[in-house]
Amino acid sequence: MLSRTQRPPNTTPTEALRLVKVTKTYGTADSKVTALEDVTLSLPRGTFTAVMGPSGSGKSTLLQCAAGLDAPDTGIVMVDGTEMTGGTEAQLTKFRRTRIGFVFQQYNLLDTLTVAQNTILPLKLARRRVNRKRVEEILTAVGLEGRLGHRPDQLSGGQRQRVAIARALVTEPSVIFADEPTGALDTRSAREVLHLLQEAVRIHDRTVVMVTHDPVAASYADAVLFLADGRLVGEMRRPTADAVAERLAHLGDDVPAGV
Amino acid sequence: MLALAMRSIRQRPGRFTATLLSAFLGATIIMTFNSMHDTAGANGVDATSAETLSTAAGVVGGYGTLLVFFAIASTLTVNVRQRTAEIDLLRSSGATPTQIKRMIVGESVAVALLAALLAIAPAMLGGHALLSLFQDSGQVADSVDYSFGPVALMSGISITLLASAGAAFLAVRRATRRRQPAGKGRKFFTYAALALGGLAACSTFAFSATDPALMAPPAYGAILLAIGFALLSPKLLLAVLDRLPFSGPSGYLAVRNMRQRAAQLSGVLMPLILFTGMATATLYMQAVENDAIDASGVPKSIDAKNLETLNLTVVGIIVVFSCIMLINSLYAATTYRSREFGQQRLAGATPGQVLGMVGVESLVVTATGVFFGTAAGLAGIIPFTVVRTDSLLPDQGLGTWLAIVATATAATFVTSLATARCTLRTPAVGAVTLVA
Repeated sequence: MLSRTQRPPNTTPTEALRLVKVTKTYGTADSKVTALEDVTLSLPRGTFTAVMGPSGSGKSTLLQCAAGLDAPDTGIVMVDGTEMTGGTEAQLTKFRRTRIGFVFQQYNLLDTLTVAQNTILPLKLARRRVNRKRVEEILTAVGLEGRLGHRPDQLSGGQRQRVAIARALVTEPSVIFADEPTGALDTRSAREVLHLLQEAVRIHDRTVVMVTHDPVAASYADAVLFLADGRLVGEMRRPTADAVAERLAHLGDDVPAGV
Repeated sequence: MLALAMRSIRQRPGRFTATLLSAFLGATIIMTFNSMHDTAGANGVDATSAETLSTAAGVVGGYGTLLVFFAIASTLTVNVRQRTAEIDLLRSSGATPTQIKRMIVGESVAVALLAALLAIAPAMLGGHALLSLFQDSGQVADSVDYSFGPVALMSGISITLLASAGAAFLAVRRATRRRQPAGKGRKFFTYAALALGGLAACSTFAFSATDPALMAPPAYGAILLAIGFALLSPKLLLAVLDRLPFSGPSGYLAVRNMRQRAAQLSGVLMPLILFTGMATATLYMQAVENDAIDASGVPKSIDAKNLETLNLTVVGIIVVFSCIMLINSLYAATTYRSREFGQQRLAGATPGQVLGMVGVESLVVTATGVFFGTAAGLAGIIPFTVVRTDSLLPDQGLGTWLAIVATATAATFVTSLATARCTLRTPAVGAVTLVA
């Protein structure tokens, strides 16, 4: 028997997320859809990466497989140097708790909890000690001081998304996955949310992976990965909105290239 | 808007199952008992037979009807509340509150009508069976023919429709009004139900010990008190929630959830309190009645035994009905929470923690329901026992009550946990994006 838990000693601690030959297909044999095909990538700690591609390119599947919400058919996902092995949902949940934070387009805050309670929920669920001062600092940093007792339905979309960001920061995860975080927001709120995600990287030293449709949102990232038909087809560093839009428009012309 | 209502029923028959089931069962029970009125009113029925039949229809049919009314209403309230998202969508696409009201009430009436029509055949069979029970026990002459006539039909259809339309109207009015504090109407209803219930229970004392309708006032009293308690209980629950010794993530979530959703809990508490109250009241009163007949010195004839069986059958139907309603509304209420469960899982809750939370909630709901149900039941039992036997409490012991509590507990836990387990099979990401 091979010892699977033994980690290679040369795992670089600066690598937050690594995907190796990840493949995911949906459907049965006769109507098979390949959502991801042989995706290999590595993201260093403290980076802000946007994943872009047309609808159906596999963006969401990539995020869900990388975040342990869905199991890839083949391939390896490593977060913070630890391989995510398939298991029960409870095992995966416990794996995610300390390593992964989420920000969703639809916020996914619990309506019955206040802003403060929503923020500390992941800590409560993991039975971790709640550092009140730290939580208040984070909520102040995202601009929600004075709203700790409000409920999500008393907040605007932008404010809700800021609660979600605070909740993702509070567990100090290695990677924060954001799925179209600005998809339901007006331009101004979207800009604020994107700035907060940048700060999560710059100030809090988190690694952010953001799936988005919007070239402007993607331009806030350090790098953009382009996805088409389930394959990585390109990368752009220091993206600008115009360059990203241009590249998106010609995605079909790109020669598939690994990253 | 009515066309939209019909289309919405045709497109999504599944979500109307709970309402349809409760309206169907309710209509069946109402029609079964009320067809005794028709049978009694037919030509050539002798006076004794007619009286037995009318008393059965009047007493059991009467409080059964009240029970059915509130059972249908509570299922419907849960159902409408679950559609807030759809109602919001309609409102944002330009539907006026009146149009939305018309749609929801129209749907409910259509479902109720269908349920009442479907209930006719089973009610006829049930009525037949009930009549032959009466005939076997010798209370009704064998020559009496069963008839299913206008009283059964009209009462069944009108009560089912009225309960559905009324409950839908009230529920949708709540849903289309933005954040308003609990209305004065609710307060009025609560106190009216409690006052009337108390009055009904007390009026038992005005009857003589051998009056055939003696069981009616305490039974009505127990139902009305149960309804009043169900409306009042969320408030009382709020007061004790903070003192509950639940620790750990599941308890943390459960207590916070219930504090926010306390008002909605009365939808689930209603059938639970009704079940506990009705089962306790009717089973104990029947036992007291049987003992009193035994004690009257008349040797227990075959007829008397038949009578006992008959009464217990009748009471049993009511009890089984309220138990089904309990399961029905718990199932509907839990299925609806799959999105909430998904959000908790995404925030880091394991499936076990979600189930634990549901378990803690079930425990609190069961304890509350059993407490108030027993209180409502006792309010019916005590006056009845005092009048019938001159002692304060029945001497039957706690056995029946324990069985009732065990049934209520099992129904609550098994339904909630099994339903929650089912909804947990959907991946968390899928569960949060499902359209309500």
